[in-house]
Amino acid sequence: MYVQLFFNHEQIRTMSRVKRRTTHPPYWHVLKNVQRGDEKISSDNLRFVREVIQDKYKNKSPIKGSDLDIEKTEWDPKTKRSGVIARNIGVQHMWEKDGKKVICTVLHVLDNHVIRYVPPEEYAKSIIGAKVFRNRKPLGCLVVGAEAANPDRFTKQYCSLFNEVGLLPKKRLARFIVTPNAALPPCTPLTAGHFVIGQAVDVYGKTIDYGFQGVVKRWGFKGGPASHGATKFHRRGGTIGTGRDKARVWPGQKMPGHMGSEKRFCRGLKIVRINMKYNVIYVKGTVPGPTNSIVQIFDTLLPRRKFTEAPPHPTYFPPEDGTLPQEDIWDSNLHVFGSPSISV
Amino acid sequence: MLRRAVLQTFRQGLAQSFFKRNAVSLSETTVTHQTVETSDEGGEKFVSTQKTGDESGNTVIVAPPEFRFMYPEFLPDPAMETRNRLKEKLERMDMLQRRSVIEIPEFYTGSVMAVTVSDANSPNKFARFVGICIQRGGSGLRAWFILRNVVEKQGVEILYEMYCPLIQKIEVLRLERRLDESLLYLRDALPEYSTFPLDMEPERRLNNLVVPINPLKVKLRPRPWLERWERQNLQGVEDLNLPQRFYDKAEKVAKPWEKYDLMLHYRKTIPAEEQEKIFAEVQSQLQQQELKRKMRRRRGSDNEQ
Repeated sequence: MYVQLFFNHEQIRTMSRVKRRTTHPPYWHVLKNVQRGDEKISSDNLRFVREVIQDKYKNKSPIKGSDLDIEKTEWDPKTKRSGVIARNIGVQHMWEKDGKKVICTVLHVLDNHVIRYVPPEEYAKSIIGAKVFRNRKPLGCLVVGAEAANPDRFTKQYCSLFNEVGLLPKKRLARFIVTPNAALPPCTPLTAGHFVIGQAVDVYGKTIDYGFQGVVKRWGFKGGPASHGATKFHRRGGTIGTGRDKARVWPGQKMPGHMGSEKRFCRGLKIVRINMKYNVIYVKGTVPGPTNSIVQIFDTLLPRRKFTEAPPHPTYFPPEDGTLPQEDIWDSNLHVFGSPSISV
Repeated sequence: MLRRAVLQTFRQGLAQSFFKRNAVSLSETTVTHQTVETSDEGGEKFVSTQKTGDESGNTVIVAPPEFRFMYPEFLPDPAMETRNRLKEKLERMDMLQRRSVIEIPEFYTGSVMAVTVSDANSPNKFARFVGICIQRGGSGLRAWFILRNVVEKQGVEILYEMYCPLIQKIEVLRLERRLDESLLYLRDALPEYSTFPLDMEPERRLNNLVVPINPLKVKLRPRPWLERWERQNLQGVEDLNLPQRFYDKAEKVAKPWEKYDLMLHYRKTIPAEEQEKIFAEVQSQLQQQELKRKMRRRRGSDNEQ
């Protein structure tokens, strides 16, 4: 580890003004959860409400690829495909064919459905779109939802977002920037088959919340000596500036504070195993966030690890006759558990 | 009723009685109790499948309660923050796949085992180590155990991951239990208690129903020790013969209320109902694997004859 003799004060100063986390949703979001107290509703009325919900959302059979009218578009290396919302369900140890242990994160792809597609011209007029595509050619935006839930717990405005599609309201929504040739019609399901073994993905999630942490854990300071007469100086920061330069504390000075609970990327993680039956992806490495937290997965933007061959474009559809080609797909480098022991 | 004699510490007995009250009463009042026993020339016991009836009268397959001691790594880590049912299920499937390839026998701390591992650096490409199991832990595919032996007057301990595919063979040379769950005090004991011949032959079990408990009391070397053994309530150690001030300090630091703390033990264990579900899921596959191995062994011995 090299010692930084001169801090890049400009960068530290600008980045320290960036808001790291909020506890409230953006102002353009509609109110999501119902704000009601103890509503005394009779059992008859409750049953009626359930019947109404069932009637509204019945006849939702799984959609086949042939039902949706998807234009036949070609994949090219500059295509940006949709991403997927998944839950980080834990960490499992696997072994490679030479006996080396590999720590893999297990990601469970929830029941994703496309809610709507916003074409590039329209998206560039929106608040976020205008900011992102100020000096670039605009791209489209796919709104994807995951984890269907009982409409009872959501407000009417939130449920109206799903009325067009006719789906049960989803607990979680996410936006994915896509090129127009990777656009998907509403109600398209996205599964683990959307990804390919061996490809690199970026995982975006909220990191573990450590709360208010001191300078040693938060910034990796060394603190002071544990003994040798050190009076009350074991885990403190020490000096916060020189006397000469500017004669003040620079903005962005590393100090104790809230650590974690920030949205971060883990880039270039390799997919080593896909289980099509349970919709589960095994990814080599760790992802941001604790177990059972929601993350977003999409194709990597690292230039050297991008696709060279066409992936399932615009997304994967299971074969029409209902037969799964392969339930559990493993990377060629990985040792399959049912196969004989490794002899090095 | 066939039953295995199992060492139950106060904690285990308490937890069992507290949480297994319903299950125990059900199993004791079964009308149909079928035990499947194969012809035992080798005298090997086949694990019984108990069929208990639930309230509606349908038969529910329940694994015998010994499974939680025979296969403790199938139970997940009790910490609620990291638990996920789907992931545990997938991990159990992988564990069963691995067990179909290699036999991971039943063992306890205090059993003498031999492990053959594929090693690129050894002359035969395989390295075999014999030792006594002093500790075991981990859950799922991360399950591990430590074997200890004294080789040419040098104490050696090796940690093996049970599901690592480099392991070629795990043999239990002597299946027994000791008075403690963790034998780390063997590091401070006289070397003869940790020495086992590297060419030790597997010993025949005298009684296939019961795992014997070796009531051996180990003699420790004089102090200094690696840990404060007087503070740990060790059953398998001879009288430590320390000055009284050590025992006084141990009393001051002791937490005698912990054995009455039910919530503490509840948080450290998986509830009995969940354990039953988990073992009911895996037991048919484990039994099939047992059967296949026995048939293979019998066929092998027949061929020899």
